[in-house]
Amino acid sequence: MTTLQSTSSHSRPIPNPAKSLITKLHMGTGAVVGIIFAVGAYYALRPAADDPNFYNQQNKALLAAMLSWSVGFLIGIGAFIGPFRWLIGKDLTAEEQLYLAGDGQGIKRYFKYCTDHKVVGIQYLVGVMAMLAVGGSMAMMIRTSLAVPGGHFIAATIYNSLVGLHGITMIVAMIIVATGPFGNYIMPIMIGARDMAFPRLNALSWWVLFTAIPVLCSAWFLGGIPTGWTAYAPLSVQAGPGMNAFIATILIFAVSTAVAGMNITATVVAMRAKGMKWNRVPIFVIGATMSVALAIPAFPTFMLAMVQTATDRVFNTGFYDANVGGSGWLYAHLFWIMGHPEVYVILLPGIAILMEITPVFVRKPLFSYNAAVLGFAGIAGLSVLVWAHHMYISGWTPTLNGPFMVTTEMISVPTGLLFLVLLGTVWRGKPWMKLPMLGMFAVIWNFLIGGITGIYLSDVPADNYLHGSMYVTAHFHYTLMGAALTGAVAGLAYWFPKMTGRMLNERAGYISFWFVQIGFQILFLGMFIAGAEGQPRRVVSFAAMYKYQNMISTGGAYMVGIGFIVLLWAVIHSWRKGDIAPMNPWGAKTLEWTVPYPVPLENFDEAPVITSDPYGYGKGN
Amino acid sequence: METTTVETSSSKRLISALVFVVLGVAVVGTVGFTLHSLSADPQKALYATKSSETIVVDGKTYPKASIALGVYADSGQAADYGHYTTNKKDYVQYGPSTHLVLPAHTFVTVTISAYDGGEHLNNPYFGKVVGTVGGTINIDGVDVSNVPSDNVQHTFTLHGIPSSSQDPLFVNVPLPQVKADDQDNFIATQDPKTNFKGHTVTFSFITGGAGDYVWNCEYPCGDGSYAKFGAAMSTYGYMSGKVTVK
Amino acid sequence: MSEHNSEHSSEHNELDLKPTPGQRATNLFKRKDVQRTAVFGIFWTAVFVVLGLYIYPKWMPEAMSTDMKAMEKIMVGFTLISAPIAGLVMGIATQAITNRHKGNTPPPDGPAIRTNGPVVVVWSVVSGIFCLIAVVWGIMEVNTMANAATSEAGTALHVQVTGSQWVWSFKYADQGIESDKLMLPLDRPVVFDVTSVDVNHSFWPVQLGVKVDANRLQTTVIHTVPNKLGRIDVKCAELCGLYHAYMETTGEVMTTTDFNNWVTTNGGHVA
Repeated sequence: MTTLQSTSSHSRPIPNPAKSLITKLHMGTGAVVGIIFAVGAYYALRPAADDPNFYNQQNKALLAAMLSWSVGFLIGIGAFIGPFRWLIGKDLTAEEQLYLAGDGQGIKRYFKYCTDHKVVGIQYLVGVMAMLAVGGSMAMMIRTSLAVPGGHFIAATIYNSLVGLHGITMIVAMIIVATGPFGNYIMPIMIGARDMAFPRLNALSWWVLFTAIPVLCSAWFLGGIPTGWTAYAPLSVQAGPGMNAFIATILIFAVSTAVAGMNITATVVAMRAKGMKWNRVPIFVIGATMSVALAIPAFPTFMLAMVQTATDRVFNTGFYDANVGGSGWLYAHLFWIMGHPEVYVILLPGIAILMEITPVFVRKPLFSYNAAVLGFAGIAGLSVLVWAHHMYISGWTPTLNGPFMVTTEMISVPTGLLFLVLLGTVWRGKPWMKLPMLGMFAVIWNFLIGGITGIYLSDVPADNYLHGSMYVTAHFHYTLMGAALTGAVAGLAYWFPKMTGRMLNERAGYISFWFVQIGFQILFLGMFIAGAEGQPRRVVSFAAMYKYQNMISTGGAYMVGIGFIVLLWAVIHSWRKGDIAPMNPWGAKTLEWTVPYPVPLENFDEAPVITSDPYGYGKGN
Repeated sequence: METTTVETSSSKRLISALVFVVLGVAVVGTVGFTLHSLSADPQKALYATKSSETIVVDGKTYPKASIALGVYADSGQAADYGHYTTNKKDYVQYGPSTHLVLPAHTFVTVTISAYDGGEHLNNPYFGKVVGTVGGTINIDGVDVSNVPSDNVQHTFTLHGIPSSSQDPLFVNVPLPQVKADDQDNFIATQDPKTNFKGHTVTFSFITGGAGDYVWNCEYPCGDGSYAKFGAAMSTYGYMSGKVTVK
Repeated sequence: MSEHNSEHSSEHNELDLKPTPGQRATNLFKRKDVQRTAVFGIFWTAVFVVLGLYIYPKWMPEAMSTDMKAMEKIMVGFTLISAPIAGLVMGIATQAITNRHKGNTPPPDGPAIRTNGPVVVVWSVVSGIFCLIAVVWGIMEVNTMANAATSEAGTALHVQVTGSQWVWSFKYADQGIESDKLMLPLDRPVVFDVTSVDVNHSFWPVQLGVKVDANRLQTTVIHTVPNKLGRIDVKCAELCGLYHAYMETTGEVMTTTDFNNWVTTNGGHVA
């Protein structure tokens, strides 16, 4: 525990730099050790050119190099010093723990293994924005290539890789987009905690994730991934060396989400302020916790699926090879048992952010807190029972399509509750149209479209036609991007003052908002039409009959792209030179607005005591 | 909401924002055009040689054109037969180019010199000749309409996306194996320097209007990968390519 | 539209805790914000009704089989069912937007409505009923298809569909021919036995409205009845590698005579 009860924030003991190794380690040393490990592993295992099992051996060497990089980096940045010292009976001193928390180190602490949840939150925020920027750029290239039929701009090999890398980059980014920055920075303050339950694990979750980023990028230099982000076997078994990067990324990422998920859950369960009963917990905390808790059982199946893909590729185990008794359906099951809960892992925090924001900007209590919790719980519960709706047309036991259709369509009931909570909260209120609130209205529309189109897709006969078409692509972008990402951006606008001490530039924010939202509608309207008309997804070229729809989509995509560049400018500019924010610019009642900026190392000078939920707005409350 | 305004003039802000947007677009654009340049054909496009002759098929007159290709077990063998390529290592490959440019509405005669061995097709359908004039191909002087699926070394299978903007074109030509016992102890993949002339396969088909098509081999020759369709089979520029009719 | 309004009143008549339910409803509808919400709600409902009735059918390709027809009906039907819900959601949202607060200070506090039991219950029940309609409709349709597949199995034309990386081929075993194009006789039930020689593909004859994955060493089966003459587009709907986009071909639904002629000219025999 770095939470030091006795140390006052004024007398900071600085550890003797000469004495402790932890003061010398940072990202750079991590990278050096990581690269040494990776190169060492590769050269130890690299096959001779005339090896009869060249491809298996090459896969083995590459996978080992990538995983060694991750381990080496973590060693090099000092992630294991704490446990190691504990193991040899010389636990870290109070000073060293304070040092690990980044006390008094300024900007340097962002590049170190820092246990302060606020530092981790900022690391996640910057990391997520970088990933979204990369993923978004790939989307621009995909759309550019699809602007006209023929696939002339980008060749099929590169196009297929773009599709997969855009997918997996965005999925990873979206899984952490809310629970990473806000779950780490804001959430502990919101519940009145001094830090996370396991601060070292918190740092670990970020740095493990960080090591996945270069691994994923390496796919570009290894021939790319031709499989899309779903990485269906046996195509993934057939794929070239770039596939190893995908496998290693998922293995690493699954560790990160497990660590982060346990940590956030434990923090919320164990570290709430005095008096914060479960029905007084801010709704964002509930949504974010359900999201990460849902990820804990979900991701191991993806990890397992990838382990099996790896052994198929390295040892010819044949889990997914029908020729030796395996089955591609096995992969599809493992993947979607993760894949569908994962959609809600992404969505729940986004909606929860909006539920946190709406009462503040309407000055009304959250409408039916219980309905919100029920909605989240219902979605989380049902989401583990619906995976095979992705497999209606796979041919796997068609008789089970009926039951899966029932569970899938049942999700519309708890989803309806989420709408009810948001609409009930704005009902009879005068919404204060700041950026976060605009985002809430955009999500209502986008999620409505995403939800209704989801009902068609959940219907077996309709899915018989729509599955694998651009219609599906448009549908899930409405939910994941239109709803979850817009919700996260609303959260950024809302918490920006607390995380940076400055206000997000409003005008740029508005410009960005309208560019993104209008462009988004155009982009996916074109895709809905093309899909309904029968254009398959993930195609590098298409028949001439879809050309106008695709051109419209591309135009919309460029608008979205420009909108997000403007947002990025607004974030960078405001972070450096924005208006200084007051402590509580929105007049909100949650705890994070009771602490100053910069937030003190242990958040609160005096532990807060909670006597009511934070939604006591309104006349007669 | 009380905020303390930090002094930055609004015009300065605007310029900063505009510059940022332009830079952002430029960065994404640069990456895009880099990918575009990486998307270029691995080899120079191979143009069909047009001839002044014409031919009448089914009562219609077509101009004639011809094009010659080779199939090699690896780049070393390709070099030995005069089709030096910069293609990598041991991948089986077509040469001299995998991007073919054919004239529209033309009787195109293709000659493929095939030097590789083989096992058997994943899908026996591709042992059948489809889409050529007369439904046959000429193998070393003999017309056939079918090659047994266990006697195929590679196929030349041309297809495209059915679209209102271009005429349909589907051609499937199986190439017979060079057998180890064709010549004493000859194994094509291991001894490219053997003086063996392989099989010469000639066939003709008639192109429609302008359009973009692709071709690929349907014989599983991506060794070491699932269904033998990875590696050379899934890497653009070896056993697959483009056909532009214009 | 009346359906929409009545649902609306049931939602909000508990808000004003006073006289008889009838009076409460009347009072509720005298409120300006409720009236505006209703107008916006009707507008948005109309938008979705138009989308369902006129736009969707235009987007979808011509239905050439019983399954495609059923599917188009579902698309239209579900849009119409969703229309009042979408209308209500967007009506409330639009009303809130028109009622927005401007300026740099927070708006005055609104009414402290913590929850409203009946509204939550009615909302849940109504969405449950809509969900039930969708489920029952879908299950009935699945059942119809399954029954048709069973009862027509004996007379059906069998086509063995094989996906190979990036080309479809079709084998008519009873007729003794193979083709790269999918030719089907009109009004005769057809059973597609779909398989793959390599990775997963997904067999999608677009205008027939059915689809099934092709798996190595597995035969997956779908059934339909082509009931309209014309061209079929056959596509692959599962990313299958390099030339996935080009794994397309065409076909045709033709009269039985034409089909038999096609079979015999290709060296097969009529069966």
